[in-house]
Amino acid sequence: MRLLLVEDDVSIQQFLKRALVEAGYQVDAASTAKAGETMALEGIHDVFIIDLGLPDLDGLDLIARCRAQGSSAPVLILSARRSVDERVRGLEQGGDDYLTKPFALSELLARLRNLLRRATVPQYESVRLQAADLQLDLVRREARRGDHLLQLTPQEFSLLEYLCRNEGRVVTRTMILDHVWRMRIDPATNVVDVHIYRLRSKVDHDTPRPLIHTIRGVGYVLKNA
Amino acid sequence: MPKNLRATAAWRISIWTTLAFALGTAVAFSIVYFLVAQGIRERSDTWLTGEAEVLAQVSVDTPSDHLYKRIVREVAELATQEVPDERNARGERLNSVFFLATNPNNSEGPLWVGPSSKDAFVTAIQRAKLVPGPPKSIAVEGYRQTFRVVVKVQNERTVYLGLSDRGAKHLLHTLARRFLMVWGGMFLLGFLISYWSARRTLLRVERITETVARIGTEDLEERLPEPVNSDEISRLAKTFNRMLDRLQSSVNQLRTVTGAVAHDLKSPVTLIRGTLESALCDEGNEKWRDSVGEAIEGLDRLSQLLNTTLDLAEAEAGALHLDRRPVDFSDVVRQLVDIYQPAMAERHHEVTSDLEEHVVVDADLPLLNRVVSNLLENELTHLPVGCRVSIRLHSHQGSAEFVIEDNGPGFPLEIGDRAFERFVKGKHSPGHGLGLAFVDAVVQAHGGAARISESAGGGAVVTLSLPVHVLEVVST
Repeated sequence: MRLLLVEDDVSIQQFLKRALVEAGYQVDAASTAKAGETMALEGIHDVFIIDLGLPDLDGLDLIARCRAQGSSAPVLILSARRSVDERVRGLEQGGDDYLTKPFALSELLARLRNLLRRATVPQYESVRLQAADLQLDLVRREARRGDHLLQLTPQEFSLLEYLCRNEGRVVTRTMILDHVWRMRIDPATNVVDVHIYRLRSKVDHDTPRPLIHTIRGVGYVLKNA
Repeated sequence: MPKNLRATAAWRISIWTTLAFALGTAVAFSIVYFLVAQGIRERSDTWLTGEAEVLAQVSVDTPSDHLYKRIVREVAELATQEVPDERNARGERLNSVFFLATNPNNSEGPLWVGPSSKDAFVTAIQRAKLVPGPPKSIAVEGYRQTFRVVVKVQNERTVYLGLSDRGAKHLLHTLARRFLMVWGGMFLLGFLISYWSARRTLLRVERITETVARIGTEDLEERLPEPVNSDEISRLAKTFNRMLDRLQSSVNQLRTVTGAVAHDLKSPVTLIRGTLESALCDEGNEKWRDSVGEAIEGLDRLSQLLNTTLDLAEAEAGALHLDRRPVDFSDVVRQLVDIYQPAMAERHHEVTSDLEEHVVVDADLPLLNRVVSNLLENELTHLPVGCRVSIRLHSHQGSAEFVIEDNGPGFPLEIGDRAFERFVKGKHSPGHGLGLAFVDAVVQAHGGAARISESAGGGAVVTLSLPVHVLEVVST
């Protein structure tokens, strides 16, 4: 997978490039909209990551130009503003996505995966998910840990499903709110944590091998430690 | 059309102009009426005097023989025929003229030409004690109208000539009746014309009001149409446009500044956060894992404060980008209560919600989410353990009322009425005092209002009212 990163802040650009390469992507980076446009039109990239605050051209105009010239790769917009321009929201409805700075790396990676998945042919949706001895039946909305049927509320099931789908990957609190409740809010309190504690008390109850782990400062991960 | 016609300026203006118009025309007519009446009287008096003189002369000049009476009667009859309207539509005589000549030297008695009931006239003449001179009005028994009578004395003969006021009165009545009809028509027409023109003019003002209201809440790019003529209303539109220009430039300036601040501050934070995060994801190094996590959490709080400050600055300046769509407010509240419920339960708060179904408002969904979550966050952070929180949503007279009420200690005294101001917070409040200011600014940007009050038990009550989405009826 090859990404195009257009970001004018050199230190962020380098840092992101390193992180993305570490995550297994090939990355081409540009610091200006002009250079970015030239690279984008080569047509070899699967996703564009574009910062809105570029020195020579607004990031949105760059996207419009690329689109006008036939480039159809999905775009992940990076923006410094949280109350995002409605034009960005419009793009989001067109299948693209945005992230506001500062963002968690894990969220960036998750959104990238999401965009790439959307861009490719829809995958066969599994009706079962499994992580270690945890089994989720997505049709009957039932979860079992070993032989034990877990008594989960619909909310808790959705939460567990989301963690399961991202097995081994860290999910942040904002990602959880966005995916489980479709809410882009940023609570200062421990609302999400309480949901996780409750879920954990059911999933990891009386077991020597807990599955749900807290990564302080980042979020949560479901993995077989 | 406005719902209440009587509350419009067009209505009041047209009422007043019509009243003034009606009064003016009434005064003008009264003057005309008075002049016409005077003219008619003068004319009939001139006729009377002249005719009486002729008759007196004739009666003096005619020798008092057996033909005297016949000659005088003929002349008098001729005179009466000059009077217009003497005969009615059926050709009957209306007896509007009489003539009486007395001669003390004549034994045959007075000469009478006129209605057959002579005695009533003679009595009236005697009672009036007429003297020669200008004509006088006398009332005659049996006649509704008075008679103008002139007296001439010549060679001991006295000649009385009387003319009924009936003709003049009739003329004046017709005039008055016609005028009343025309006046009524003019009154109605005048009212319609002034209402129509006032309404037309004021509709332009109304359109300006509507457009400016819309521009104020949505898009500062829009301008009022400026008509080519330069009447008062065009000048109003132009003035508004100049004002909007200034407003837009300061809003743009603010956006540029907040944008620059956000960019300049957030880029380093992004970098630091990212570096710390990748360090955290390295396995091992358990020793400083907690410190790094703490540092990241600190950075998150910092960027949260930064975000809220910038958003608030924009919201208060009316520079927020609102992407308004019909939003099911009930859904938003239900979902957020869902999210916050476990955290509330953790603090042993009892949350009850009473939500009317499908209360739809025109709102920017992400902002509305943040407003409601801000209020729920407040309850979580400020309430002591074990309180009751009641959440209600109802639509009432075109307004969605969202109420969040608790039985906690209420707003600290030192806050008073300033809960919605920036950085105003209780001494022991852990927040930064921007939450409610943000709520207020966003709700106002949506054309609503936020209020705080105290519940019966002294707890805090926050009420938001937002205009309900008006369903557009699509006719098929």
